[in-house]
Amino acid sequence: MGPFVALAFNGFREARRNRVTLLVAIFALAMILSTTLVLEVTVGTFDRVLTDVGLGAMSLMLVLLTIFLSSGLISREIERRTIFLMVSKPLSRGAFLVGRLLGNMLTVTVLQLAMAALFFLMMLFYQSPITPTHLAAVGMLWFELWVLSGVGFLMSSFSSQMVSAFVTVSIYVAGNLASDIYSLAGKSKSEAVQSLGKAVYYLLPDLSRFNFRPHATYYASVSSSELLSSAAYGMAYTGVLVALAVLLFNRRDFR
Amino acid sequence: MDSPTPIEIRNLSKTYRLGFFMNRQVRALQSLDLALMPGQVYGLLGPNGAGKSTTIKILLNLVQPSGGEARLFGLPPTNREARRRVGYVPENPAPYEYLTGREFVTLAGRLAGMSGKELDDRVSEVLGMVQMTRAANLQIRRYSKGMVQRVALAQALVSKPDLLILDEPTSGLDPVGRRQIRDLILEERHRGTTVLFCTHIIPDVEALCDRVAVLVGGRRVREGSVAELLSSQATHVEMTVEGLPLERIQALGISLELARTLENRVLLHVRDADAQRMLKQVLEQGGRVTQLQPARFSLEELFLRALEEARQGPVGGEIS
Repeated sequence: MGPFVALAFNGFREARRNRVTLLVAIFALAMILSTTLVLEVTVGTFDRVLTDVGLGAMSLMLVLLTIFLSSGLISREIERRTIFLMVSKPLSRGAFLVGRLLGNMLTVTVLQLAMAALFFLMMLFYQSPITPTHLAAVGMLWFELWVLSGVGFLMSSFSSQMVSAFVTVSIYVAGNLASDIYSLAGKSKSEAVQSLGKAVYYLLPDLSRFNFRPHATYYASVSSSELLSSAAYGMAYTGVLVALAVLLFNRRDFR
Repeated sequence: MDSPTPIEIRNLSKTYRLGFFMNRQVRALQSLDLALMPGQVYGLLGPNGAGKSTTIKILLNLVQPSGGEARLFGLPPTNREARRRVGYVPENPAPYEYLTGREFVTLAGRLAGMSGKELDDRVSEVLGMVQMTRAANLQIRRYSKGMVQRVALAQALVSKPDLLILDEPTSGLDPVGRRQIRDLILEERHRGTTVLFCTHIIPDVEALCDRVAVLVGGRRVREGSVAELLSSQATHVEMTVEGLPLERIQALGISLELARTLENRVLLHVRDADAQRMLKQVLEQGGRVTQLQPARFSLEELFLRALEEARQGPVGGEIS
């Protein structure tokens, strides 16, 4: 096991032993299971509610967990001064950062797989049809979590956990509204507002590109090219965030 | 890979920029020169804020220098191969609390490129060396400060480093803990490991170091072996006289820095320049000189003197 993999597995172990992660995992699984209760009071749109509540709970819990984990990823190590023991080891700062990020994503991925398995089991149990769009909605959520992780991780490399978490939540909200901001600004008569809208759109991650939950709820089809382009966008955006984090981290003094 | 100089520092300076707008400057190191030979135990002695930790952090690529050069085995600290030969224990080490001692030392070994049975065996060996075998499978959050310090030392030793860098390794430990850490450092020296450690605990320096540098305000104000440093300060001679009362010695008219009657003898401190005259006159008066040696200064006295001298000159600290 190389240093890189050792760091990733250590990150997974850290999350596994963190009570917050366990609580979120238990709560998320309970929420998906509680879909049963919602179905009791549902008339007619049974399949839609099952998909909507299941995917919604999964998304909400994983987004919260990702923000919590990624925003404290590096800042906690710097605050506690564990970073002295790690950065002095014979590995590059970039490798250390990426190893930590992979550990974070390993945790999120394992939890997402568990939640997805439970969700699809419930759909099978209630004989609700599972379509490729359902799989796409779950898969694209994974790319959204990469981007969010990247934002939290970048912020965490130079600011405190509180600031990182606040900025990441803000970017999550703004990122989901990026397309709306762009189209609203386009309707303005002021060129300055239009330019600002464009700038916001291109600068912020367009997180609505990863949201295929409505498609799954209404059994709409999704083209593979659309999925591929969204996935590529997510990985490229994360790549830029990680590169920026490495750049900043390489220049830092750890006093 | 043999290299003659584990640590070589030339003209090293560091100025921190602090504040929200980075407009406050604090000079932590000024034109520091230092060289460690293989197998030496070298102490950096100085008060808080002297630049000891900054020197160490530059050597470990935790802080970038503002000027000058630092080299580990002939390579810059940014080079991973140079750091592969170094084990480091920071001041108040904070290993991952969620890991057990064994897991943390294993992680340190993996990051140093070790794996498999070699790593497992070495982890058990170093945990034994620091007497942590019994507590190895407890989470670090349950450890006492002394246990954390010992695990930190184990993670530094796991890759069999040629150079150990220890930042205040005994601070905050009880006498037993301090003794154990000191014994471990001595064991490493016997194995041929070069050790650089910084401290403000003077007895540790006297007990462990081959050479010492005293830093004050980011400058090196003294450097040498402990014996050299102490003898360089000895400007007086200590003389023990029998058969002549103190009153008669004082009547000789030679200036005395110290004069004390101890049972049947008199202890005197005489300036170097007056020593021969005093010796002659005591013998002429019928006294016997039973002991004559350079007056011993403790390292603590030397340290305080260096501190006092440095305070009178321009030193580091805030510059804007």
